[in-house]
Amino acid sequence: MLYKILVVDDEAPVRELFVDLFKKEDCQSVACATGEQALEILKKETFDVVLLDIKLPGMSGLEVLKNIRETNRNLPVVMITGFGFDEELIAKTKQFGCSGYIGKNMPISQIIVTFKQFVKTAKEKGCSNG
Amino acid sequence: MDSDIKEILPKLIEDAGVMVLYLDKQENILLCNKKTQELTGLKDTDIVGKNWLKVLFRNSGNNIKKAMFKAVMDDSTTYKRVKDFECHILDSSGKNRLISWSINPILDKDNELQASTLFGHDITEIKGRGASIKNINDSLKNIFSSIKEYALYVINPDGKITYVGMGCQAMLGWDKKDIIFKHVNILHDIDGQGSNLDFILKQVRLSGKYETETELVTKDKEIIPVILTVNRFLDPSGKLVGFIFIAKDMTERKKLEYQIFQAEKLAALGQLSAGMAHEINNPLFVISGRLEMLKQEELDQKVRDSLDLISSQTDRIRNLVDRILRFSRKSTTALEPIDINEAIEAVLPWVQYNKLPSAEVILEKSFTKNMPKIKGDLHQLQEVFLNLLINAYQSMPNGGKIKIITSKLDDHYAQIQIIDSGVGIPAHHLKNIFMPFFSTKKEGLGLGLSICHNIIKNHNGSIELTSKVNQGASFTIKLPFI
Repeated sequence: MLYKILVVDDEAPVRELFVDLFKKEDCQSVACATGEQALEILKKETFDVVLLDIKLPGMSGLEVLKNIRETNRNLPVVMITGFGFDEELIAKTKQFGCSGYIGKNMPISQIIVTFKQFVKTAKEKGCSNG
Repeated sequence: MDSDIKEILPKLIEDAGVMVLYLDKQENILLCNKKTQELTGLKDTDIVGKNWLKVLFRNSGNNIKKAMFKAVMDDSTTYKRVKDFECHILDSSGKNRLISWSINPILDKDNELQASTLFGHDITEIKGRGASIKNINDSLKNIFSSIKEYALYVINPDGKITYVGMGCQAMLGWDKKDIIFKHVNILHDIDGQGSNLDFILKQVRLSGKYETETELVTKDKEIIPVILTVNRFLDPSGKLVGFIFIAKDMTERKKLEYQIFQAEKLAALGQLSAGMAHEINNPLFVISGRLEMLKQEELDQKVRDSLDLISSQTDRIRNLVDRILRFSRKSTTALEPIDINEAIEAVLPWVQYNKLPSAEVILEKSFTKNMPKIKGDLHQLQEVFLNLLINAYQSMPNGGKIKIITSKLDDHYAQIQIIDSGVGIPAHHLKNIFMPFFSTKKEGLGLGLSICHNIIKNHNGSIELTSKVNQGASFTIKLPFI
């Protein structure tokens, strides 16, 4: 298994797509629909990376990221959004300590390549919780 | 009683507020009153017995003496009665006094001159007031003629212009002679199809006054928006003799309102687009993701072809959503000092790539060297230049010329002009050209120029377009220096 991934997205078809895509890439993934659920899961399980949607009902993706960073500075977190490549959003997520940023408007193949690149870089930097 | 009056009379003459003189037939002064001594500054002993012209006009030039003499004589021999002849004298302090003269020759039965009485009324102050009034009138005339925002004109009940007042020239360009006594439709018939004047005048007849937003035609056949107030014009007996029109020029106001309206519309549309694009991106992401996964399976060629078609169509939607998102992008983030000339230079190879292969297009650059840098987002600004240049190329299917000019507008702004010799844009499209989803091209999305507009606006700059059909288009961008 390459990575164990936590997928956080409020839309079931998106979650399921990611789980299937990652399976093909020899990754194991756990999926949940809200930020609150994600934080609960993270308390119990360890992951190589979190794929986190920015726009979530209740706690937003940015808040979840902030929460994760309070207890874990090293866990790679890649943000994903339907807003596309928005510089303002990117700047904000970087400020909150995310490891990468992916727009849902990118072609799927590119998303997977970019995602893997982000995780690799984050791990090389020694930013993994192992 | 009679004797009393006889006693009063010399006193009356002596104390009169006007100069009173009595001359003998040789025109020497026999008698003069106090006012005469006061004004001439001479004692009666210096006056009596002397020639009146020499005494009264002793300080005046020959021209005045001649004028006075001419006024008194019919010809060189006959005296005539003179009333209210105005002529200046110099008073004792050397000041010019304007005197209104009345001269009565006293003739004998053979019409021979026996004596004359002269009355001279000092009207300097009265005339002064008149001159002031004239000055005020002149000032008012100047004030009125320099008012450009209002035009005033009056028509008779038949609709003929009977008075052309302020502003008709300054605001509408009409000389009085152009429109006086013409039918007022010359100002109101904006399209040769008649005007709504009948309705307006009917309202005025009914209620005395009517105010409405309408349009007027200038001498140059331009149409300007106005607020028109029309009042009844009644004579003292209450009879309707005409209508008074006052039109206020609303061009600037309308322009401002339109800009605010456009800005608000764009902002609202931006918000809506961003939200909509987000909602489309999610299902689109799932569709294209599933498609890609499916395509990796063993498939019948017919199915694969169909999937490829679906793929290409979803790509189309994704591109559209991308453009909408870029249009709605609110701010610039990656700000850096930018050399405008270099930024333009860098996009030129990309432009060449986009041009139509058969068209011969000459690209002419006129860059001002050593311009101060501007602060901006290089990629966004290059997107603007690329967009405008590609548009320019596309507007010249049969070839032509593109000029790119950079210059220092002043100490604060750089100016970039992109001028093509293409097909141009019809006047009625100009005001919509920066609106999203507006396109004159069949295949255009209508987002290119609205994105340009947004980007330049976010850089605190401005972008304007002037164009005429078949005379090309000229974009002017102004961007602030750092």
